[in-house]
Amino acid sequence: MSAVAGSLTSRRTFLPTRALWARLVRLRELQLLLAMAVVVAVSAVLHPDFVSSSNVSFMLADSSVTATLAIGQTLVILGKGIDLSVAPILGIAAIVVGFPAQNHGLPLAVALVIVMGVGIVLGVGNGILVSWARIPPIITTLATLSVYGGLQFIIANGQEVVNIPNFYDTFGNSDLVPGVPWALLAAVGLALVVWLFLRQTNLGRSIYAVGNDADAAHRSGIPVQRIIFLTYVLCGFLAGIAGLIYLCHTGSADSTTGTDSNVELTSIAATLIGGTTLTGGRGGVIGSVLGAIFLSIALTAMVFARIPPIWEPAGVGGLILLAMVTDRHSGNLGSGGPRRVGRRH
Amino acid sequence: MSPDRLGAAAQTRGLGHGVPVGRARARRVRSPGGTEERVELAELGERVPGEAGTGRVPSAPGGTGQGGRPEAGSPAVSGWGAPARYEARSVTKSFNGAIVLDDVSVTLEPHEVHTLVGENGAGKSTLFKILSGLYTPDSGRLELGGETLGDLTPRSALGLGIYLVPQEPKLMAHLSAAENLYVGILPRRRVRLLVNWRQVHREAATYFERVGLQIDPATPAREMSIAQQQLLECARALVHRCRVILFDEPTSPLTTHETEILFGLMRQLRDAGLAIGFISHRLDEVLEVSDRVEVLRDGRLVASLRRGEATRDGLVSAMIGREIGVRTRVRRTSDVTERREVLRVESLTSEPIFRDVSFALESHEVVGVAGLVGSGRTEIAEAIFGLRAADSGRVAIDGRVLERRSPRACIEAGLVYLPEDRARHGIFSEVEITRNVTAGTIPRLPRRWGLIRQREEQELAAASAARTSVRMQSLEVAIATLSGGNQQRAMFSRWLLAEPRVAILDEPTRGVDIGAKDDIYDIISDLAASGLACLIISSELEELCLTCDRVLVVYEGAIVGELRGEEITAARLGELVVGGSSS
Repeated sequence: MSAVAGSLTSRRTFLPTRALWARLVRLRELQLLLAMAVVVAVSAVLHPDFVSSSNVSFMLADSSVTATLAIGQTLVILGKGIDLSVAPILGIAAIVVGFPAQNHGLPLAVALVIVMGVGIVLGVGNGILVSWARIPPIITTLATLSVYGGLQFIIANGQEVVNIPNFYDTFGNSDLVPGVPWALLAAVGLALVVWLFLRQTNLGRSIYAVGNDADAAHRSGIPVQRIIFLTYVLCGFLAGIAGLIYLCHTGSADSTTGTDSNVELTSIAATLIGGTTLTGGRGGVIGSVLGAIFLSIALTAMVFARIPPIWEPAGVGGLILLAMVTDRHSGNLGSGGPRRVGRRH
Repeated sequence: MSPDRLGAAAQTRGLGHGVPVGRARARRVRSPGGTEERVELAELGERVPGEAGTGRVPSAPGGTGQGGRPEAGSPAVSGWGAPARYEARSVTKSFNGAIVLDDVSVTLEPHEVHTLVGENGAGKSTLFKILSGLYTPDSGRLELGGETLGDLTPRSALGLGIYLVPQEPKLMAHLSAAENLYVGILPRRRVRLLVNWRQVHREAATYFERVGLQIDPATPAREMSIAQQQLLECARALVHRCRVILFDEPTSPLTTHETEILFGLMRQLRDAGLAIGFISHRLDEVLEVSDRVEVLRDGRLVASLRRGEATRDGLVSAMIGREIGVRTRVRRTSDVTERREVLRVESLTSEPIFRDVSFALESHEVVGVAGLVGSGRTEIAEAIFGLRAADSGRVAIDGRVLERRSPRACIEAGLVYLPEDRARHGIFSEVEITRNVTAGTIPRLPRRWGLIRQREEQELAAASAARTSVRMQSLEVAIATLSGGNQQRAMFSRWLLAEPRVAILDEPTRGVDIGAKDDIYDIISDLAASGLACLIISSELEELCLTCDRVLVVYEGAIVGELRGEEITAARLGELVVGGSSS
């Protein structure tokens, strides 16, 4: 018995520090910041231009579209769904305000209201199909990816937006202070609002509950289908805003904007790299925004390292895999062992 | 507590369901906390305003502090949870044409524990699911306090104060205990929008204390034991101020000790004026806690008895529709000559769960493992079977040490493991019985040109299923269509196909009805007679007494005692599993 008692006490002394350490290491946000620091440091040493304010500003502004999409994607994935249709939602939003902006100088504030409306309407479409028609999310949004993509063609009607008013360009391509672009600030602002929503409101917590176990949530009195519906609407809403940021940043929009660069997959990649799990109920938006920024930095670093652009998709894929492996590994720290099955006791 | 508030509360105490549910709930939750709670319970328990805090009612959660919010004493709040009779009238329900409930009427009275008994498939759980809004009845109606309820969903049921504690607790694994408790109705700040996490944790702790759940509110649910999860479900019912709580077989995963804690809580709630619904297969506990027992058989109500009228034999014969003899101890012949050691476990350790576990099993022997949930008994079995990494220790089967243990290697060597959680780790629920039975021995199935010969596979499965007398219409239906007892038999036949020398049976009769239980005991003793060594892990001490030649007692991850033959009594085991001395 004394041997047992001895091991018990020693366990108690060691556990807290180990647990704390494990928790810190597991924080995906911390891992990402660390990884970013490494990539930036290495690239800066090899190519001092990498940390020039114009390049930093470019990378961050570039990531803001992905970041905004990833915020919405995170909401959907937390609720155990997925939204593949964010690309045409972004595209439709961009052209719907792009033409009046180009031809009539549509005020930015009005444009914002319009893209939000467009995003909400298209998001409601997804939400109805998933939560009321009960079509699995991946099938629903694969279908609406095509349907909305077709709609984008019809709306664009072969025209292109090539020339946007100056104030659009100013928002999309200038900095508050050197190296901190307005576009990223917008994305970060949205992320903070959504972060607060997810963390501090019953609605936000309900998304986590539904993603964890929809049956359990149903039994606990959570209106599961309404919550799922809401995530798609919010995702559409954010994709609409992302469309405006895209328009301002690139100054162009046409019938294949969004879909041609597969932004839906990039947004999912940023979300996964940010630590949100596809199984739902775990993760958060801060990680997703960091994931988007990390993607942008890493891909730019590849360019600086003179790796041909054809390797870019492989780079994204590699980062996703790396994130998953890290998940696996850090998820096991402090638990019973790699093959633990009975987690009940 | 000011008397005028109590008075006001008493005056307005009526049936709460006249109040718009959503609003009442939202308000109620923004104003939890000690003081308000006390009003509520005083009303429920004493039914005399002004005597708060004197009676036998459970004491309010400790740290008060936030109690006296302005809206705390409002009529909507204090009307809540008033005792009410809950009735199901002529409820009928069928699934795919099969009638599960046939014109059943039950009445749950406040201040009573109302128990349903019946064999698996009798319709007990279905009735509870209807009462809690998970299922909609085909016909019939529900009345709460004399008012007919419309379409009930779990959400609206909770709003009315009706909650079902399910057979298998279902919590949201990655959320904290506190959040699971309050999910959907987390207390908010004065700002009315943002969740007040400090309040959540503080008040969760007081609720946990009240149901006897000792746990840090920040613990993620996935790290909680079944017993703890169950207590959390009870606490959730309290958070929602429920007046009807339904317990669907809550005790089947619990140990005797935990069961006592739960019963204590049930009695407390009953005395506070709640109507308690209860389902159990363990008749002793049914007789112990019930104020009224009703027997369901094949979807019909066949008997309704009050406390004192019900006897064990009476219930059993009503349940199965025939008389059965009292089960006596299965005594195996201890003088089998050909005994040899088939399993040896040496110093098996997996910190921090268990350590230095050593024992041996001989052929023809049935050895029990007694221990509380969380004592490490299941984990030891998992480690032996290679499901869980062990830090050190050896396992030998038939004298041969298994170096790298994996389920496959163990099965090859003659060791099989029947897991405790049949639904999750045992059956492939949507797959045909044939393939469920042969799933453990796929590499050995008869083949031609490398392809499995389906007809022979089916014959093998049929023969094996016949050995354990699985009752089924066809081998080619999904195993989910079988009753719990028959699923378990099919699991036995799966492992018989592997021709094992040692079988580890983790809770072999969990979720199995009485008649089927006896059959499983028979199967076990037949297997032992044919030479198989069985290791039975069970929370039911009676079961160990009935079936085992030896019982090992596990306490906090170590084997602390061993009883043999006539020494094995429920009383002795009960002492040992909670860490009592073995002398």
